[in-house]
Amino acid sequence: MTDPTTIAHLIDRALSGYADLTTLGEEIDDEWSYVTDLSTAWTDRLQAVASDHGDTAAPDTVVVAVDRALQEIAAIEDPHRAIDWLYTFPQVVLLAMGEQP
Amino acid sequence: MRFQDAAKDGRAVVYAGIQAEPVVARAASLLADATPTQRVLARAVMNGETTDSAGWMSMFPTLFGPDGADGPERTRSEAILATSLEVADRGEQVRSQVRGAIVEALTAILLERGAAQGAVRRERRILFDGVRAEIHPYDVTVERDGAAEAYDCKWGARGINADVLHQLDDARQHAAEEDEPLKVGLVIFDAERSCRVRLERQTAPTAAIELIALETLDRLVGGTPR
Repeated sequence: MTDPTTIAHLIDRALSGYADLTTLGEEIDDEWSYVTDLSTAWTDRLQAVASDHGDTAAPDTVVVAVDRALQEIAAIEDPHRAIDWLYTFPQVVLLAMGEQP
Repeated sequence: MRFQDAAKDGRAVVYAGIQAEPVVARAASLLADATPTQRVLARAVMNGETTDSAGWMSMFPTLFGPDGADGPERTRSEAILATSLEVADRGEQVRSQVRGAIVEALTAILLERGAAQGAVRRERRILFDGVRAEIHPYDVTVERDGAAEAYDCKWGARGINADVLHQLDDARQHAAEEDEPLKVGLVIFDAERSCRVRLERQTAPTAAIELIALETLDRLVGGTPR
């Protein structure tokens, strides 16, 4: 029997995908520093949730939700669309976990 | 200070066509009564890469999961998903225009709930004595004596820029010079956190411009955010 996925594990996975999304968004030179600041702000928020609830087992529905959100951002190729999702992805992850953005 | 319809130039004619699309009114009406989570659903789907309904439902377990709300809330979530997928299915340029029109229509609906009939207008310019009129109209205005309001509406925080901020703050200042209070605001269909990061980077004036973000849209009615 495998250990249940914890909120900390899930957020680690989410942040890994988010880092890739940030790298894609940074291709827009005019928005580079904004993308960096935005990514930092949301990364901090997600890490705060991991600090507070990291040891909690994530319900299956939440694991599926985050994995599905990761699939969505992995399909993005356009850096402008990546910036759109730098706003959206953390909100989706947080709401799936029952947290406020 | 007086208000005036925007010039009927080519941009206005094209944009009026977008605003008149039935999906715009339908989406705005649904989002006016939506919870913040349902609004994030709309934002995600309309920005999305995929149009797989089941996939989106699995991404929002608090709306569609076994512990999610049922009854009218569930029905609204399903309607928002279906309408958002309809928008997402359009080409990138069209969907971008439709999304912008939805935010404007949503803003107008919410403001109309707290204003007298006919006070809320779209695409209006504001004229001041001795001041050259701005070319770009304000997206939504509330036109009433002693308590006028002007809003610029954006789909995402990235739409916040110096031109928008200067236009809003200039209008407020010119109104004050005429002893007319004018509340100015930015309505952004995006998380407040993202908007604050964007605003912090701006050198244009922001202090007197109200920010209404996705979580606080219901403030437009004058009520309590849900």
